Amino acid sequence: MSIRQQFADDAVRLIIVIVFFVFMPIISPYFFQVKNVMNILQNISLQGITAIGMTIVIITAGIDISVGGVMAMSTWIAAMLMKNGLAWPLAIVACLAIAALCGAVNAFSVGVMKIPPMIATLAMMNITRGLQTVLSKGRTLTGLPESFQVIGQGVVFGVIPLPAIIIILLYIAASWFMNNTVTGRKIYAVGGNPEATRIAGIHNKRILLFAYVCGSVFAAIAGVIFISRTNSAPSTLGFNLEMKAIMAAVIGGTSVTHGGKGKIFGTFLGVIIVGLITNALDLLGVSAYYQQFIQGLLVLLVVMLDAVGSIRRPGKTFSQ
Amino acid sequence: MSFAGNLVLNDVDFNVHDGEIHSLVGANGAGKSTLIKILNGVYRMSRGSIEVNGERVNIDNPKAAERFGMAFVHQELNICPDMTVAENIFMGNWPTDTYGRYDRNRTNRKAMQLSATMGIDLDPAIAVRHLRTAEKQTVEILKALTRNANILVLDEPTSSLTEREKEKFFGIIEKCKQNGISIIFISHFLEDVIRISDRVTVLKDGRVNGVFARGSYTKDDLVHAMMGVSVRNTEFIPLPKARSVKEVLSVRKLSSHGKFHDISLAVHSGDIVGICGLLGAGKTEIARAIFGLDPIDSGAIYVDGSLVESCNPSNMIDRGVVLLTEERKTEGFVPLLSIRENTTLSIGGMFQNLGTLNRTAQTAFAQDIATKMMVKMTSVEQPVCSLSGGNQQKVVLAKCLSIEPKLFLLDEPTRGVDIMAKSEIYKILREFVEQGTAIIIFSSEIEELLCNCSKIYVLKNGSMIDHIDSLAISKNDLLSMIS
Repeated sequence: MSIRQQFADDAVRLIIVIVFFVFMPIISPYFFQVKNVMNILQNISLQGITAIGMTIVIITAGIDISVGGVMAMSTWIAAMLMKNGLAWPLAIVACLAIAALCGAVNAFSVGVMKIPPMIATLAMMNITRGLQTVLSKGRTLTGLPESFQVIGQGVVFGVIPLPAIIIILLYIAASWFMNNTVTGRKIYAVGGNPEATRIAGIHNKRILLFAYVCGSVFAAIAGVIFISRTNSAPSTLGFNLEMKAIMAAVIGGTSVTHGGKGKIFGTFLGVIIVGLITNALDLLGVSAYYQQFIQGLLVLLVVMLDAVGSIRRPGKTFSQ
Repeated sequence: MSFAGNLVLNDVDFNVHDGEIHSLVGANGAGKSTLIKILNGVYRMSRGSIEVNGERVNIDNPKAAERFGMAFVHQELNICPDMTVAENIFMGNWPTDTYGRYDRNRTNRKAMQLSATMGIDLDPAIAVRHLRTAEKQTVEILKALTRNANILVLDEPTSSLTEREKEKFFGIIEKCKQNGISIIFISHFLEDVIRISDRVTVLKDGRVNGVFARGSYTKDDLVHAMMGVSVRNTEFIPLPKARSVKEVLSVRKLSSHGKFHDISLAVHSGDIVGICGLLGAGKTEIARAIFGLDPIDSGAIYVDGSLVESCNPSNMIDRGVVLLTEERKTEGFVPLLSIRENTTLSIGGMFQNLGTLNRTAQTAFAQDIATKMMVKMTSVEQPVCSLSGGNQQKVVLAKCLSIEPKLFLLDEPTRGVDIMAKSEIYKILREFVEQGTAIIIFSSEIEELLCNCSKIYVLKNGSMIDHIDSLAISKNDLLSMIS
């Protein structure tokens, strides 16, 4: 795919975003109200940060559907530790470490045991979700330290919520990382042709380890921000999150049909589009059940569009 | 039939009688597989006609070939390993009972009957996975028979069989012949060809270069027809005597069950050594084992005189060993990434500066090496999948040479590469050898080995049968040795 083609793809995404901003105010007067914009940003922050890790995993030709479970379990433990008097920065470190461990187990299953990523992470999803339920007995923890709540509730320059700043910084960092570090480029290479990278002396397993740890840790970061903002760690945290994250990545141009293709910036636009769609459906009063249906349909459509491209590809570019 | 302007087959007449075993032989690139692919409907011919039972037919896809009674048994078998023998034999046409349900007993019984008529003893109820290669091939042949095939095309069926298995296999083919089935037998193994063929057609450079009837020819006649006039090879320009006689690689008694056994070889710096053998002789397996891609059962590998204890690709690369694999598309490069990133795949760390990728240095390096390799490109940012085969191979070559290897293993380095690119690749290899790199070429192309290597190891059925000085042997003798 040429650079121009990629630019054109991103341009299409930008146009979709712009179309939303032009037409939504006409359809719903609430769209531009501060409360609604805040609402969009808050929704985006949860799935947006998760989608960074998801994109990295999908680029390695994998997938991580355990993100919601990992998020729920690790944040619940962090909340528990905080309530029991552990300093909150340490609790966050513990939370991220637990997530990293889950990611490492995923990477072990996929990289060493060669289990299909979908199954490996499905198991992890149930492990983490189950453990969280056992630990919490379905209770929601509240009353977190006030200094901790600043992360999710803080406002910079009087208007910009701190989570919005965090998400943008994370996107810039991840995008830079994927494009400008050797490890970042190896992730693309391993996803594009693992056999070639193995022969080129790249440690595929280490790259997968890194990617799956990213998948889990970004989810945990998103979870920390969420519990800080809402001052509660609910059992239901992160339900259906994997679908939203995958949706953002796929709409952003990351390919689930073959690895090695995708961009963090594309996912950023994807996240905004998903956020806007969800918001539009809310404002139009579409019921939550229909929303799930529509989201599923949308993912299928976008994946099919991507697949059509790759069905054509071999004949087109590999022929001599 | 022509590829990109090159005539691949030219005025080839080929016919098979009822109940005849007709072999098709020829050196690499003679057009055997092209002819078969035309019969199978994979390729279209540009001129000429195909007749089956005297009727002119139009075969434009593999299904059509099946309709006209042709069945193909390829080297890569098309079987479902976890289904039973009987289920594989009747693949897709499983016998059903009166209610239309799959009838396992009847399937097994019918499979049993069929194999009994062919004199084959096979348990129809066991999974094909547990069979040996020869038995799997038998399953394929039985499968063809259930489709009422009357022309059976066997592509290199004996390459992975032991002598005893061959014996049985030929028995089955004879049986098919007695039942009036015509057989087209393609093989590099001339002894097998001579043994079972009623007639042999030799292809050379896309033309028929001789048809021999049983009993009227010798192996030498075939070799002669395949290779042309027997001339002492004069293309090889002897390498300048290596300044040092340092042994870069020494392999002792390497064995891997079912692949190769007791392989010993050595290469010195500044030398090119060839490993010659037919498809299935174990070349690729040995190359992969030395590079640590596949496990070995016994034996030792020494690089620079020291024993390699854990043999894996990154370890070998650290020791200055690099492999160019046979499968360019699936193992050579990352298709969507640029020339810049593919050529620096093994040495990414070199361009790391405080954790950041120094893209300027990387671009300069890629530009430099791609120019040296004579890659035809618009820029180093071009994705490798958009290059031609020869240029892709040069990119893979650049990737390998980027680590400045001490030892370079090349497995079929010029397969699917045009003549121009071929000679350029040889030239590049020469340059590196002059700087002291040791090279091993694993190839089934005799010319390639004779004009590049100083010494050639001859491989047959997974063992090293001889090693020879390439100035002291002719093409024909070498072909005779391996086939």
